[in-house]
Amino acid sequence: MFKRVLVPAMAVAAMLAVMFVVLPAGAVGNDRAIRSRQSHDRYAFGHDTIISSAVAGSVQAYGGSIDVRDVIDGDLLVFGGNVTFSGRGRVNGNVVYAGGRIVNGEGRIGGQAYPLASIGGAAASMTKTAVVLSLLFVWLVAAVVVTLASGREVRFSSIEIRASALHCFVLGLVALTSFVLTAIMFSYLVPYLIGIPLLAALAVFAILTKIYGMVAVFHAVGTLIAGARTHEQLASRKWLRGDVAMVVVGVLLLGAIRFIPVIGAIAWSAASVFGIGVALATKFGRREPWFLVWRPAEA
Amino acid sequence: MNRESCQRYLEDPEANASHLAECAECRALAESLELKVEDRRPRLSAELPLAPWEGAGHRSWSLVIAGAVVVALIAAFFFMATGSSPLRVLANLPSADVLISTLRHIGSAAQNAPASWQVIVGVLFVVVNAIFVALLRRAPRGIDV
Repeated sequence: MFKRVLVPAMAVAAMLAVMFVVLPAGAVGNDRAIRSRQSHDRYAFGHDTIISSAVAGSVQAYGGSIDVRDVIDGDLLVFGGNVTFSGRGRVNGNVVYAGGRIVNGEGRIGGQAYPLASIGGAAASMTKTAVVLSLLFVWLVAAVVVTLASGREVRFSSIEIRASALHCFVLGLVALTSFVLTAIMFSYLVPYLIGIPLLAALAVFAILTKIYGMVAVFHAVGTLIAGARTHEQLASRKWLRGDVAMVVVGVLLLGAIRFIPVIGAIAWSAASVFGIGVALATKFGRREPWFLVWRPAEA
Repeated sequence: MNRESCQRYLEDPEANASHLAECAECRALAESLELKVEDRRPRLSAELPLAPWEGAGHRSWSLVIAGAVVVALIAAFFFMATGSSPLRVLANLPSADVLISTLRHIGSAAQNAPASWQVIVGVLFVVVNAIFVALLRRAPRGIDV
């Protein structure tokens, strides 16, 4: 049944997906309106751009800054560069930017300016501390819930981090890169109906992987710092014992480290990489293989 | 009274402890002597290293509540100091419409990117995912818990 139906169906689906990517002219449906609107769009890849005449559509820049000297009727997206307004420069839509800043943008943006950073990064410095602390509270609650729901799995993943840290880190880095590249590949399908659900599914999977992995990292850190080493030590403790306690200690420790400038961001990012790596290395603590080896049945 | 079974009990009280249930004399004798049997089982658990699962099921609710309250109070203090609120911060986040619009823009940009960029992304996609699959095939090393 599997070989007869599922494999050919998947092959056909894969070929169709590749055709959609390779032949974007095949897009139909509501996308006509988008395409006609986007025909005035301008794109810049890997270099700085000056908008010296009015643009009827949107402008996007990847890996370069934008100098807006005239009106952009649509949105402005800038990744890896600054947005500078001068002269008649104005954006009637939204400005979405990452890895840069907006210069002289007061009163020149018709919509809103969205920095595509973390929630904490979007806030001002004093508020940022409060936001980071609020997120830490959310992490604490999530970590306790996940540990209560699947303590054995979290414990196993925590042991795996300590048993093969390098493998978890490398797997985490590769997985992150794979998520980004897969998202780019899926973004080719955005003009079609399937694109956004695929991207949403990828985002949900990545977020769940990060949440579970971070809980495992919290457990590992808590156990390394505050875990009991002997039976006597364990018997003498009232609070500092058990999976939940180790996770809470880990959250509080990593949360405190996060407030150290530069080092905190690096430590939290490294924890995320470790977390994603260990979540995937242990299949969310279930210790099942991701791929089964197919062997023909013997008579 | 069965002399033979009583004799066996007196020779090895621990092995023939069930005899006390059937012989009143021996039971009275044992009670009068207040025999205490020493536990001579080897205490292996104390000598072995602490296993990860030992004590893992314990739930320190006091620690959880204390930690959560401290973090929440400090966050509330900072929000009060800045005159802001979590809701105001959430209101500044992009809406679903903006996110979908941004995704559509990025999708169109991917198709309008220079050919060299698209080739590089395609090659990287294949290479990185091949490494990803190879790494996922490795069995976990952690011991059983």
